[in-house]
Amino acid sequence: MIDSVVVIVVHLVFALAITPVLIGVMRTVRARLEGRVGGGIVQPWRDVIKLFAKEPLRAPGSSPVLTWAPLLLMASSLVLCALIPLVSTLPLAGVPGELFVVVSVLLLGTVALAMLGLEAGTAFGGMGSSRHMVFTALVEPTVLLSIYALSVPAGTSALAAIVRSRRDDLSSLLNPVSILAIAALIVVVIAETGRLPVDNPATHLELTMVHEAMILESGGRDLGWLEFGSWLRLTALLGLTVNLAVPWAVAGDASWTALLVGVAATTVKLVAAAALLAAVEVFLAKLRLFRVPELLAGSFVLAFLSVSASYLVF
Amino acid sequence: MSQEVFQQLVATTTGVLLLTAILQVWGRSLVRSIGLLAVQGAALAGLAFTVGFHAGEPQASLVALIVLVMKSVVLPAALLRSARLTGETRERPAALNPAVELIGAAGLTLIAYIVGTPLVGDNPDPARQALPVGISLVLLGFWLLLIRRSAITQLIGFLVLDNGIATVSFLASSGLPLTVELGASLDVLLVVLILGVFVVRMQRQQGHSDITELKELHD
Amino acid sequence: MAALILLPLTLPLLMAGIGFLFPKAYWTLALPIISAAALLAVGVGLIIAVQASGPVVAVPGWLRVDALSAWMLAVVGAVAVVALWGGAPVRSKSKASVGSFTALLNLFLGAMSLALVADNVGLMWVAIELTTITTAFLVASGEGRNSLEAAWKYVVLGAVGVAIAFLGVALLSAASGSHSETGVSWTSLMAHAATLDPAMTKLAGALAVLGFATKAGLAPMHSWLPDAHSQAPAPVSGLMSGVLLSVAFYAILRIQAVTDAAVGPELMRTLLMTAGLLSLAVTAGLVLTQSDYKRLLAYSSIEHMGLLAIGAAIGGELAMAAVLLHILGHGLIKSTMFVLAGRISDASGTHRIDGVQGLLRVRPDLGAPFLLGTAGLLGFPPFVTFFTEVAIIVAGFTRGLGWQMALACVLLLVVFAGIARQVLAMTLGAGVRQQGRPVWWRRLPIGLALLTSAVLGFAAWPLAGTLLAAVGALGGVR
Repeated sequence: MIDSVVVIVVHLVFALAITPVLIGVMRTVRARLEGRVGGGIVQPWRDVIKLFAKEPLRAPGSSPVLTWAPLLLMASSLVLCALIPLVSTLPLAGVPGELFVVVSVLLLGTVALAMLGLEAGTAFGGMGSSRHMVFTALVEPTVLLSIYALSVPAGTSALAAIVRSRRDDLSSLLNPVSILAIAALIVVVIAETGRLPVDNPATHLELTMVHEAMILESGGRDLGWLEFGSWLRLTALLGLTVNLAVPWAVAGDASWTALLVGVAATTVKLVAAAALLAAVEVFLAKLRLFRVPELLAGSFVLAFLSVSASYLVF
Repeated sequence: MSQEVFQQLVATTTGVLLLTAILQVWGRSLVRSIGLLAVQGAALAGLAFTVGFHAGEPQASLVALIVLVMKSVVLPAALLRSARLTGETRERPAALNPAVELIGAAGLTLIAYIVGTPLVGDNPDPARQALPVGISLVLLGFWLLLIRRSAITQLIGFLVLDNGIATVSFLASSGLPLTVELGASLDVLLVVLILGVFVVRMQRQQGHSDITELKELHD
Repeated sequence: MAALILLPLTLPLLMAGIGFLFPKAYWTLALPIISAAALLAVGVGLIIAVQASGPVVAVPGWLRVDALSAWMLAVVGAVAVVALWGGAPVRSKSKASVGSFTALLNLFLGAMSLALVADNVGLMWVAIELTTITTAFLVASGEGRNSLEAAWKYVVLGAVGVAIAFLGVALLSAASGSHSETGVSWTSLMAHAATLDPAMTKLAGALAVLGFATKAGLAPMHSWLPDAHSQAPAPVSGLMSGVLLSVAFYAILRIQAVTDAAVGPELMRTLLMTAGLLSLAVTAGLVLTQSDYKRLLAYSSIEHMGLLAIGAAIGGELAMAAVLLHILGHGLIKSTMFVLAGRISDASGTHRIDGVQGLLRVRPDLGAPFLLGTAGLLGFPPFVTFFTEVAIIVAGFTRGLGWQMALACVLLLVVFAGIARQVLAMTLGAGVRQQGRPVWWRRLPIGLALLTSAVLGFAAWPLAGTLLAAVGALGGVR
């Protein structure tokens, strides 16, 4: 019980601490590759602190959704960070770390965002929400399927146990099932976190934007929660992907040395993955909107294949 | 080579083979598809080396080297040259819905696994276990030949098919003798070069290399 | 003796080299004819040698000639002489690149010889793929889009088909479980047929036959054949139709021998009977409405390959001997017909059947042999095809394949009616006599080929020993 609490606290603190740094690294890498100086690695911290200090402005006549949706997104993101084995694969006592629970928590945040976009009643918000829902309809099954494929050899659908079994049995890391599933997962994580080529996180007023369109009407503290919550989702999903792909040095219990090693390893992996993602983004153009379902359908096929292959082989 | 390392290497190379083939059905950029072909060739060479070395064949590294040079360097370079000469860098608009193409690819891979499983039987040899990957590569090559219109992608489909056959032959019999391997690689190279010449001629004569436009001869 | 085997491999190479050295010289057209004649001589020599002292081995595990290979070598040589000699383009029509044309023809002959004398399964595969490669530019040597289209289809389908056959070859060597330096040879496969893994052998045999059947032009993998054969120049069409198809069929016979010995004859019988009947049906359906006489001849080749497949499916001494003799008879007649078709299209300037009329009156030197050759193709006595077709059908009935044979007879009748109607429309009717009779040495090969195929049926008794020895090389009676 104590161990579980320790692990949850470590996960939360780690996620809160690393997330803005991660965003900063991505922005800096991108800026440097494009020949700009960039705002520095800690700039996201400054942005968030500035936003939290500001009073939110809400349109008169708006419903409470505008107030609680950002908080719901933030809360769901925090639960996500606690449940996903970022640093330690210790099974949490009394808290289900099931794949399906995690995906539904993810969906909770998505729904909060979409309702926020609709609430504003503007054209942009509605467009963003509807697009987001279309993508979600394709993304969620793929997330489920691809991780499910990895869970078949492990014999359990608890995320922590999957990561642990992959860490202990290194031969399962690079077989066809695993390669297909990880490839599918990478595509959907990119789509879910609104990165290129699905959505451009750097735009602010474009007809094609998705994420920015939904949060266009929010400001001040609300915007702070929204931004931070979205970033935390990125950390959680990216962390899950890297820990599934390269589960080395993830802590197996709650001892301090193991946790320290785990924190260091996950930090390195996350920063490397984020830098890589940002570097690749420089070379990508945004896909036309109606081509995005094609991309996601492709990743769904990959995930589907990996599930069927995992049943036929093992 | 220990059994674990062998198993891991076979799993990795066959995994890369399958992934690149699926990505080739997925993507529509010719240049990227040719790049994937090069990766596929490298994975095939790795597989040839792994299986040959494990079986204790003295010529394993030589066969792998031939495969690497042919399939990963020479053939993709020749294709790229044909693509540059004809000025085509993207696939022509598809006859099929992209989703149908992908679902077809998934179905074919499933069929390959279903067909291949009885062949594997209860043979614990990891090389035999990976046999369905080779069969699915063959089927995906056929699929590319069916759904793609550009002559160069047809060539890519042929090469994927050929890679699948090579995969099956490496996995099932740890390869044929060096002379035959050499002759087979040379044959494939010549076929691709000849078809490359045809592609350029087609481009000169009709201004594009869409093979669905080849329908003058019929009954 | 072993040196005899190397001659058909090295001589075409040498001749090809000479051809490449003199790219514009008209006399290089004689080079492939010399190679073909040498092939014929070597084939006959090897038939005698094999009958005297058993199979000849040049390189153990790689090159070996038994009665069947020797027979096929002689057939390829004989047909190639007719096709190349009769089909040699006249000087005014020969293109600037005549040297490389003849060089490719030489390489083509060499590749076919290699396929026939190879004992190693993989080497034979390489040689058959080489036949596709060497003929690609020969098919595409015409002008315009049509020949390019034909060549594209030919190379893609041929290469894919032969690649599938490679899958079969690889699985066959896996089924034998051998890890020797030289891989599997036909000799070792036949010797150890009982120890082959049955499931693997079945799959391997089916795939290999499927692949080589594409190259042999058996339905339903025949779609390249009418295009390629109608677009290629006359000597090339003659060679492809007359012997290339038979060389691919030879590969099927070898595969059949191994799988029959390993897992029983049912699998191959079903496969070959289906393909054979389907080929006959395809021909029957399309000759009636055909409007191009070169395509008509190409479909007739599909029909004859189907007949060979049916013969092989029946099995047994009578049917197999008839199949081997039929390969020779069909090759001689078909190459003659393609040569004549080339001359007709030179004279009339069209490939269309309705563009040619009254050939017997307009050009009796073309019309008469064309009509005679058609009679041979359709299996009229005294041509050898009559005897072989009757032998195949009779063997089928005695083997209890009653309804298949009845169906084959009906289909053959339809083909007969279709081809006869079309050819009669071309040859009969009124017309004004035209000049243009070729010189005697161009008419000679046509006459020789038709005469041989007419006499062969009656003079078959000296060949009986040879044919039965060749059937014996396939593992004897089943």
